[in-house]
Amino acid sequence: MSPGSAILATRAGSAGRSGLARRPVAVAVAGLALLAVALVAGIAAGSVTIPPGDTLGILGRRLLGLDIAPTWAATSETIVIDLRLPRVLTAMVVGGGLAVAGAAFQGILRNPLADPYVLGTASGAALGAAVAVLIPVRALVLEFGLLHGLAFLGALGAVFVVYRLSRVGASSPMTSLLLTGYAVSSLLAAGLAMAMYLSGAGLRQIFSYLLGGFDASSWGRLAVAAPLIALASLGIILRARALNGMLLGEEAASHLGVDVRRERAILLALASLATAAAVAVSGLIGFVGLVAPHVVRLMVGPNARVVLPLAAILGASLMVGADLAARLLGEIPVGVVTAVIGAPFFLALLRRARTGYEL
Amino acid sequence: MAAPLRSRAPRARREPRLAPILAALLVPLLLVLAACGPSSVVPTPPPDATSSTGPATTATPAAATSTPAPTFPLTLTDDEGTAVAVPSKPQRIVSLTPAATETLFAIGAGDRVVAKVEDIAAYPPEAGDLPVVATFEGVDVEQIVALEADLVVAGGLFFTPPDAITQLRGLGIPVIVLYAESVEQALAGIQAIGDAAGASEAAATLVASMRADFDAIAAATAGLDRPVTFYELDATSKIYTVPAGSLYAEMLELAGADPVTTDDSYEISLEELLAADPEVILLGDDADYTTAADVAARPGWGDITAVREGNVIPVEDYVLVTRPGPRLADGLRALVEALHPEALD
Repeated sequence: MSPGSAILATRAGSAGRSGLARRPVAVAVAGLALLAVALVAGIAAGSVTIPPGDTLGILGRRLLGLDIAPTWAATSETIVIDLRLPRVLTAMVVGGGLAVAGAAFQGILRNPLADPYVLGTASGAALGAAVAVLIPVRALVLEFGLLHGLAFLGALGAVFVVYRLSRVGASSPMTSLLLTGYAVSSLLAAGLAMAMYLSGAGLRQIFSYLLGGFDASSWGRLAVAAPLIALASLGIILRARALNGMLLGEEAASHLGVDVRRERAILLALASLATAAAVAVSGLIGFVGLVAPHVVRLMVGPNARVVLPLAAILGASLMVGADLAARLLGEIPVGVVTAVIGAPFFLALLRRARTGYEL
Repeated sequence: MAAPLRSRAPRARREPRLAPILAALLVPLLLVLAACGPSSVVPTPPPDATSSTGPATTATPAAATSTPAPTFPLTLTDDEGTAVAVPSKPQRIVSLTPAATETLFAIGAGDRVVAKVEDIAAYPPEAGDLPVVATFEGVDVEQIVALEADLVVAGGLFFTPPDAITQLRGLGIPVIVLYAESVEQALAGIQAIGDAAGASEAAATLVASMRADFDAIAAATAGLDRPVTFYELDATSKIYTVPAGSLYAEMLELAGADPVTTDDSYEISLEELLAADPEVILLGDDADYTTAADVAARPGWGDITAVREGNVIPVEDYVLVTRPGPRLADGLRALVEALHPEALD
């Protein structure tokens, strides 16, 4: 980290290549096309084979209201509409939300290693989920069990505590936030380990939450999580100007008329909210929130106005694709796939970025 | 690290508080969600949804009564306390626990079972060809839907992932969740499966004969010495044995043992084990890959009475000891054969 440098706008400017101005549009179009393909493939594939024609017919009839006489079994319709569709849409929303939150955390903390989980959301959610497994209550609210509720509260609670604690002390807010986040995460991880030790037969449930996945998606859950994630992400995207200012450093941002403290708090709250909702509905899925923003920056430069929406698109495509791959490989943990796809892709881009790369 | 210099000056202006911002963000969203209500967002469930039980629903208390035979539609309360409505006599049953598979076949409902959970000790042979829709890794909800299941029997205490149960119920498929922490609960579970599958009488007959079996075995072991017994689940790295109050512990007591138990988790330290100094070590879940010689060779185990006296005994059919199905009494018999072989003559 070199807090002094921080002039990242130059990186975009340095590449005076022709056509760079049009690049974000091209990337966006390519990203949307990728997302569309991933969505369709995600709906078409699954453990039950449904012919592509039937899948299209079902989608046309139920989504577009086309007057197609069903030539397929009623169960195919249930599988496509009530199992696969909510699943791919949940993956899309979660992937997009995590990518935007990751970009925001990286910007706020001016740290390329930041991801949506850096300030304790992951360990808070994990501890919440683990504690829920220890409590013998099986009530459901809006199709969410205690596990999801406590994971959500745990994630938000952890960030809240980290933020509160970091306001005390003399070091810079960002360093303080990061270090406090690390300390609180360690403490929560200890709690998680204890809860796992005590969980007995529930250990598998905790473990499966830690690995994350979309196999439990439903319309009911999507209807609760999607608005939270989408609105929080939108809120972040609308604050791209503030985020750009922060990337230049606190002083420079103040000169640009950005109320750094206020904006930082709002952005932190929004990013944490998106992350908490995402982890509540899908568990802890790593890598997308870390890598998607970087990949976008490597392609189009660091301007947050461009990076944030593109990161959302890329994160969504990556997650839908990863979930599809996980499903085709026999429901392996989706986090394994995001890492296996994401890491080499990221490394390749990093090698090709000749201009050098800084957040 | 020059950062601290810059940020010290404006210390008087503290960072804003996060709570009001979070509250300001969350409250309107939750209000919007509450206003929408879940029902307006969720697509209409299939017509045979559990929620739309007919007006003349007959409420049958779960498993408690065996007569008269319940009529459909019926509602029964499963082991998690969920009231499950079964609209008509199930014709396409999915069994998500090995015990339920055995039970369904034992009560004559085997021909209505369309899929089952993976089972390392598959029984009965007739169930061998059924498609497997669940493994240790998870439940294939798509397959269950494609099979048009009209009753799913799932395992509680996290045996079947709770998310899968929620999902199946959300699709209108009746799911009863059962688990057994005692012999009584195992018998009640068998009756509950019978009631849900429309085979109450067969289940009642089965339960009665199992009860007679249990009584006979318990009578045979009643007056015998109760050796301090360590029932080994696994000891390859840490040592695992049975918790007090579990079905395992009850079975061991019925078999005429004084089991070494743990308070809550399955783990026991070598120190505690040495302090308990068992007279008998039963090789349970690890019987297939552990021998008495292995046990004697473990560091520190040589001084245990059971090892010194050569009372390290593998349990035949250890799978049955905690499988709350029709062969549970066979599991008890296997324990007695290991502990008191003379008692069953």
